[in-house]
Amino acid sequence: MNEKPVKVLLVEDNPGDARLLRIFLAEAASSTMELTHFGCMRDAVSHLQGNEVDVVLLDLGLPDAQGLGGVRQMHSIAPGVPLVVLTGLNDEITAAQALQEGAQDYLIKGQIESHGLLRALRYAMERQRMQVETEQLRKQQLQLKDEFVSHVSHELRSPLTAIYQFASILVDGLAGELRPEQSEYLRIILRNVRQLESMIADLLEVTRVQAGKLNIEPQATSLRDAIADTVRMFEGSVAGKGITLRANIPADLPLAYVDPSRVRQVLINLVSNAIKFTPKGGEIMLHPRIFEEDPCLLVMEIADTGCGIKPEVSKMIFERLYQASDASEDGRKGLGLGLYISKELVTRQGGKIWVTSEPQKGSNFFFTVPIFSLASLISPILTNELKLVDGIVVLLVEMDSQDGSLSPDVRIEMSNVARTLLQRCLLPDLDVVLPKMDSGNAQELFFVVACANKQGAEVLSKRVREQFRRCEQLQRARLTFMVSCSFLSPILRRVTEPIEEFAEHVAAGVQEHINTMIEARSVST
Amino acid sequence: MSNKTILIVDDDPDIRLGLHTRLRANHYNVIFACDGMASIAEARKHMPDLIILDLGLPAGDGFNVMERLKAIDNLSLIPVIVISARDPSANRERALKAGAKAFLQKPVDNAKLLAVIRKALGEKDLTPHAVHDLGEV
Repeated sequence: MNEKPVKVLLVEDNPGDARLLRIFLAEAASSTMELTHFGCMRDAVSHLQGNEVDVVLLDLGLPDAQGLGGVRQMHSIAPGVPLVVLTGLNDEITAAQALQEGAQDYLIKGQIESHGLLRALRYAMERQRMQVETEQLRKQQLQLKDEFVSHVSHELRSPLTAIYQFASILVDGLAGELRPEQSEYLRIILRNVRQLESMIADLLEVTRVQAGKLNIEPQATSLRDAIADTVRMFEGSVAGKGITLRANIPADLPLAYVDPSRVRQVLINLVSNAIKFTPKGGEIMLHPRIFEEDPCLLVMEIADTGCGIKPEVSKMIFERLYQASDASEDGRKGLGLGLYISKELVTRQGGKIWVTSEPQKGSNFFFTVPIFSLASLISPILTNELKLVDGIVVLLVEMDSQDGSLSPDVRIEMSNVARTLLQRCLLPDLDVVLPKMDSGNAQELFFVVACANKQGAEVLSKRVREQFRRCEQLQRARLTFMVSCSFLSPILRRVTEPIEEFAEHVAAGVQEHINTMIEARSVST
Repeated sequence: MSNKTILIVDDDPDIRLGLHTRLRANHYNVIFACDGMASIAEARKHMPDLIILDLGLPAGDGFNVMERLKAIDNLSLIPVIVISARDPSANRERALKAGAKAFLQKPVDNAKLLAVIRKALGEKDLTPHAVHDLGEV
């Protein structure tokens, strides 16, 4: 049997009840149970913070914690410790609710006897242990499932490659001339290869979405570029189908604050859907603009002249595994994951996705993304009396690996560590860490904008350097850091100038500075 | 046209034959190796102009091969293109850092593959749009 005594924490304000419980426990198992008693929640909480406890006996009528409030409080402080509550004779409803809040059992005062008490405590601990085990098992199984899906999906790519290679060798006439039917059939094979390929990609993406492993790194992003890439990508397939794909982009479209590869992914999903459902002679139009209902957002509209969507299903299409029952003209359904993935990607970047449609006339898909604004990132530190500081400093921290073997996952993890660390060195009312501003650099660059004079800037860079040097996690990943610091030429605020305008002013200067710094890096690598 | 020699390293015979046929049609000389060990031996023997390398290989995986190539003086400058079925998010950067010129995920579009090969060999690219979305290349 278990030699170590079980540590029971009793929280009970009535000395008589407490005494009785102590006697019961001693009668039943004096050597295996060790009771500690407190009369109020506050003392129990401070005991829990420094001591190991195996099970808690909690009265629901304490002076500083009554009823379910006490249960919740105890549960949040010691979530892993099994809890048995003590209630009065007429309070079984509260007791039942306590079970729902996470208590393992309840005992009714006046009906407790020594063996029943012992059994309740042991049972509570056992149930807690089983719950933990079940949860661990569930997590393990989920992970196994994800690994399985991921493994299988990758394995599928190899035979798919061989099919693609040889079908395309035949189609290109590299193995002799073909009759027209033969070419046509081979093209059908190739089309299906591509479809299978995109299904595999979707499957992997959904696994990532569900495991919470989507990497999203927002930065200043040009939707114009994303649209140009998308249009170019589909040039061939729209021409083949006799559809026009156009974009109407306002000249002064601001940058979005999103992950560029993720926003491309959404665009590609929506455009390929539109192509699928738009008949010959139809038109697809991409139209990004500032969102009419909220000037902090951009809205991207993808309008097609396809078969449209019935109003009753227009919400369901974003659900996982939803498939249009009246399939597209090539009679083929996908996995029904594309729109679900798009919704997840848009929502996680602070936007919304929806559709309006008129059956037989076409559909208009919309999604919103936040506008990137350096000014609004900087303006909080400018609202202070600017006369007090001598200037604005742009601090650059450059992260690089020593041995050149940083996997993307580690890179993202470490860059989060670095960000948090950087955040800790700053004064939140005077300094701000900017989001990722560069693209495609070998190193990771972090920019800080700070209100400081020369001396203040020196202190800040020294503190950053020291923090980074001391951080074990970063050392273990064998990362190197360089900190450099530069001053913005003084920007004076006119007396009448509103703070927003001034912030725009400063932001423009900061942006220019950052561009120069990024350029300098890419030249040197 | 080109008369350059490309070493294909892949343990799947179908994929080797498919690549062979495609590359021969584009006037490249092709040689093979089906595992990590053989790839080094073949590279030493024939001094190819380019290596197309799979990652999952017997007798030393693709990363291992790149490491060994790097350590051998006259082989260290041969451009390597990695073609793998593996997840790009976990392998692209690692492959590039290990010295690969490009990471392409299987199945690779023919036009894209040829464009990447030409670029790695420093040849003139006849299809200007083919490379636009290769990013790191």
